[in-house]
Amino acid sequence: MSAALQLEGLGKRYGTTWALRDCSLEIPEGTVTALVGPNGAGKTTLLEMVVGLSRPSAGRLYALGLSPDRDARELVPRVGFVAQEHPLHRGFTIAEMLRLGRELNPRWDDALARARIERLGLALGRRVGKLSGGQQAQVALTLALAKRPELLLLDEPVASLDPLARREFLTTLMEAVSDGGLTVVLSSHIVADLERVCDHLVILSQSRTQLAGPIDDLVAAHRLLTGPRSDPATVARVHQVIRESHTERQTTLLVRANGHVYDACWEIHPVDLEEIVLAYLGYAPAGPLREAVAG
Amino acid sequence: MIWVGWRQQRTETLIAAALLAALAAVLVPTGLTIASAFHDGRLAACIGHTEEGAGACGAAVQAFGARFANLSALLAWATVVPGIVGILLAAPFVLQLEQRTHRLDWTQSITRDRWIAGKLGLAIVTALAAALVFTLMITWWRAPFVRLQGRMGNSIYDSEGTVVAGYALFALGLALAVGAVWRRAVPALMVAFAGYFAARLFVDTWLRQRLVSPLTATFSAKGRGPDLSRAWVLSEHPVDRHGHAIEFIGCPRDAGACRVNGTTDYVQAIYHPASHFWPLQLVETGLFAGAALALIAFAAWWTHGHA
Repeated sequence: MSAALQLEGLGKRYGTTWALRDCSLEIPEGTVTALVGPNGAGKTTLLEMVVGLSRPSAGRLYALGLSPDRDARELVPRVGFVAQEHPLHRGFTIAEMLRLGRELNPRWDDALARARIERLGLALGRRVGKLSGGQQAQVALTLALAKRPELLLLDEPVASLDPLARREFLTTLMEAVSDGGLTVVLSSHIVADLERVCDHLVILSQSRTQLAGPIDDLVAAHRLLTGPRSDPATVARVHQVIRESHTERQTTLLVRANGHVYDACWEIHPVDLEEIVLAYLGYAPAGPLREAVAG
Repeated sequence: MIWVGWRQQRTETLIAAALLAALAAVLVPTGLTIASAFHDGRLAACIGHTEEGAGACGAAVQAFGARFANLSALLAWATVVPGIVGILLAAPFVLQLEQRTHRLDWTQSITRDRWIAGKLGLAIVTALAAALVFTLMITWWRAPFVRLQGRMGNSIYDSEGTVVAGYALFALGLALAVGAVWRRAVPALMVAFAGYFAARLFVDTWLRQRLVSPLTATFSAKGRGPDLSRAWVLSEHPVDRHGHAIEFIGCPRDAGACRVNGTTDYVQAIYHPASHFWPLQLVETGLFAGAALALIAFAAWWTHGHA
């Protein structure tokens, strides 16, 4: 599988602050990747660099094998981008938004765009500014999809939507993905919906990549260990301890297991994606985050 | 891109057109009245005889001037229109930066260069078209006055010829430059208008008369000097035979007591004759248009580098 997105030591600095630092990862073609991290982790910065709205301060970046900086003319027509808060021209009607798409994109698929708008039950003559947040998000997604991109980037597409609109949006996205030929990178700080849509996960935290890989593998590789209160040092020798928490009697460890966990002192549980994500968001590479739970 | 650019500045273009239409609604009927009054008064025959003492012509010209004095004074305010139109046409660009929808356009398949060139090019063309329409209307309206008095007067000069295009472009460029950096439409456009007004005031009151060297004529007060009726007279003062200004400082109240041997029989006039109209126009237009192009280029460059 070749990489739709390839980052090597990518960094972006604003003044003296690094918004993203030393980020290396590969996103295979045809995958749907969730880019997860707290606000300010550099998700938006990363996506903007891919689509050429922002320039890397360090490292290298290839999207579809092209550099957004040098090959913008070739790359941008093949990348769809839905920005955070999906800004649209508020004074335009939906029909005019589609016309804009047609005028500015040589590969524009007008039939697809119209069919999508029709399926959403939106009249073409309605003003974009008068649509609900969910409908605006759908129009923005339609605009990005009708461009017929090979790589689709969505920056916090559902953050501002209510649960129903969120589900409808993700359903539309999944349908588009099932049509094939599309790699999707989707940033979010809401984990709940991602498992349904995404097959790959990248966790960005403190401006760095903390974890990246296929979701199934990641879930399979992590374990929750509970046992009598003890020092996790023996476990840490073999496995990577992501989070440890202690009560008076009990110690709970979330580990990235290096093979099987044989230690009989520990009860071993599977963990779900959300728990893994939450653990990594607090994880600093220097060592596990210590959570002392009183009582 | 042409459709997109047009659609994005449609509202502002229509407002500018409405502004010009409102002006036309005043100019066309009054202009027709003026033209017929000019014709009925047989004022064409008086051209060149407007100086005092020319008998019937002097009275007719004076009556004509008095009849339309208020209207004429009112129309002097029309000189703010090119500035307003220029600022107005910068609004869509700045608003788009403020609402960040330029990023939506930039992530379609068009390059930034083409987008910026398309948007700014369209605004420039629209501003020039508006300036042309404005100039034609005002020039037609004022034609009878101009035939009698020439067009060197400040309030006439600045809505004739080519300067209007320079003003409109300058207002556009200033608003684009301030807006590109500030990205807040309302304050940026207000600041740009204030800047435009200040620049116009500076040029009107100080710079314009210096753009082309004025002529100096010294002549006997008793004899006939050059015809200054159509000239822009910067100063006219008594001098001695050698052209030195006469000092009135220290003189008693009735200056007559200072007169020595009829030295004030000479007058010196510093003026721009009617033939300076086009040199002045072209230099001033060049200044405003040059500044405008520099500002627009800056706005384009800055916008390009700041997504």
